[in-house]
Amino acid sequence: MKIVVCIKQVPETNDVTIDPVTHNLDRRGLAGVMNPFDKNAIELALTLKDSRDDVQVALLTMGPDDYAESLREGMAMGADEGYLLSDRAFAGADTLATGYVIAQALKKIDHADLILFGRQAVDADTGQVGPIVAEFLHQPQITYAASLRLSGANEVTAERLLEDTKQTLVAQLPAVVSVRSELNTPRYPTPRNIQLSFAKSLTVWHHDDLDLDDSRLGQAGSPTIVTKVYAPEPVKRELTPLTGTPSEAASQLIKALKERQLI
Amino acid sequence: MPSTTAAAEKLLLQMVDDYTAREISPYDMSMDAAQDFPEGFIDQLTATGFLGLMLPQEFGGAGFGPEVTATALNHIARGNASTAVTLEGHFKTIDQILKFGTPALQQALLPSANDRIFAFSMTEASGGSNPMGISSTATREGDHWVINGDKIMITNGGLAQVYCVLVKTAPAELSVFVVDQDMPGFSFGKREDFIGLRGTPVGEVVMDHIVVDDDHLLGKLGDGGLIGDSAHDDARVLMGAVLTGIMEHELKIATDYAKERKAGDKQLTELQVTHRKVADIAMRKETTKLLYQRAAQLKAAGQPYSEEAAMAKAHGSRSAVSAGDDALQILAGYGYSREYPVEHLIRDARAMEIAEGTVEKMRSAIANAEFNK
Repeated sequence: MKIVVCIKQVPETNDVTIDPVTHNLDRRGLAGVMNPFDKNAIELALTLKDSRDDVQVALLTMGPDDYAESLREGMAMGADEGYLLSDRAFAGADTLATGYVIAQALKKIDHADLILFGRQAVDADTGQVGPIVAEFLHQPQITYAASLRLSGANEVTAERLLEDTKQTLVAQLPAVVSVRSELNTPRYPTPRNIQLSFAKSLTVWHHDDLDLDDSRLGQAGSPTIVTKVYAPEPVKRELTPLTGTPSEAASQLIKALKERQLI
Repeated sequence: MPSTTAAAEKLLLQMVDDYTAREISPYDMSMDAAQDFPEGFIDQLTATGFLGLMLPQEFGGAGFGPEVTATALNHIARGNASTAVTLEGHFKTIDQILKFGTPALQQALLPSANDRIFAFSMTEASGGSNPMGISSTATREGDHWVINGDKIMITNGGLAQVYCVLVKTAPAELSVFVVDQDMPGFSFGKREDFIGLRGTPVGEVVMDHIVVDDDHLLGKLGDGGLIGDSAHDDARVLMGAVLTGIMEHELKIATDYAKERKAGDKQLTELQVTHRKVADIAMRKETTKLLYQRAAQLKAAGQPYSEEAAMAKAHGSRSAVSAGDDALQILAGYGYSREYPVEHLIRDARAMEIAEGTVEKMRSAIANAEFNK
């Protein structure tokens, strides 16, 4: 089976400024490191690889050429290959436009059975790209997984850890899972594996290598407009668990949404 | 795009910094107090591949070159000098097996250097800087050599599993043999209670009728002096790096404190007396860094580096002691307290005015090199 871990390179410093014009993060001139949460996703993939003979781990990221450094770091941890999606046409993308390009690239990778993401990136903190990719691919998704195992020939079981509750979910493969940092402690790349990582395959895909709708790319394809960046007050909501079979749970959900006049 | 070598070195140093911050620095103070590495510390260092950092890839190592190897020890020493010195002792020993060992000896020994610590054993009660004063011997008996002797103050003694030992094979002939702690007749003696670098074990190695074949001879009979000098050179380059790391640690403590502390109504950073001390620490740190990097560059280029290595150690060791003294004075009472690391950094640095040849011997070596130009 092939596991693809989608990673992001983020500014090394916590002292990130906001561009006063675009209200986006100003990443100019900042050294990049791999998003720390993505290392948990790589560690999960490598643990699964260590436990079976048939697992291949690929890494995928979108960004400028220097994002290859994070791919190399992941390959030095033990991943088998890396894919860099790099083109000026992808620049300025919000989570939707980013998710679109990543999903189109994943369609091109043969047998991407399990697609992993870190919980969120530490620069923008949205946690949206994983779910967006799952929707583009029409695949089941599990977010905030605090544990995950291959529970059958073609399924995964994950414990989903939320603020007030835990859920155990089963998904058919192929599926998209984003993982929490409680899941594991990422391994260090060894000095030898750092050297050997440079012999591993790193594929760069530009605009013309992918089947893309240009209207969905970059800033033009990004419906998000950042007007203000602030820390919201936490909101405590009452939870109503949905129970029964999937069809019974769906009926309860529709009823609840109707009662609140949301549909 | 940077070259593959540059990119790999950048990634290595990034990993070293990450590992040092999370796995080494937190134990700096407790190591000094406990006079040992924490339980499992060396096992984790080994499992993370540090022992093979400069070992060529054909022997299962990473094969990083002399410059980045020294820089890696510099970065580790920012967090803890004992850890860096333990690796220095291992690397200098591997270097001698690479320089002087036969292909068969290298093949037999070096793959295990990824998992086992190697040590170089010269000093005895009767001779340290004067190697002809040693009394350990290897005597020919039939097809074998029989080694007897008592080595003291051996870096990593008791921790290392493989030892290159300097012995006399004739009254005026020094040679080096490789012995293993598992060999009959091998035992460990007293561990030194040194005042600095207290994480690193320094101890006695006792050899009582250890029987080895010719294939355990490193280099040729009579090469002992040459191999010993070479081991010193390689150690001194890395000690310059360790001393730079100690000074970076001292500088950080001094500047962090000066930025927080007021004397009367003035911040310490506003006082010229602080400026003088901080500038002196920074200049000592930077000159030592340039010296060890220069020596490492020459080594990487296959050129002589003995004099530059001696300079890095001689200049660096006194500099790090003086820099620590200045940092202590900036912190005043806190600097004199065992609750802060400055006092143990001075003790750590002081070791390197003695180990691998005293600073007096370094100056003679430098002066003689100049006379011979």
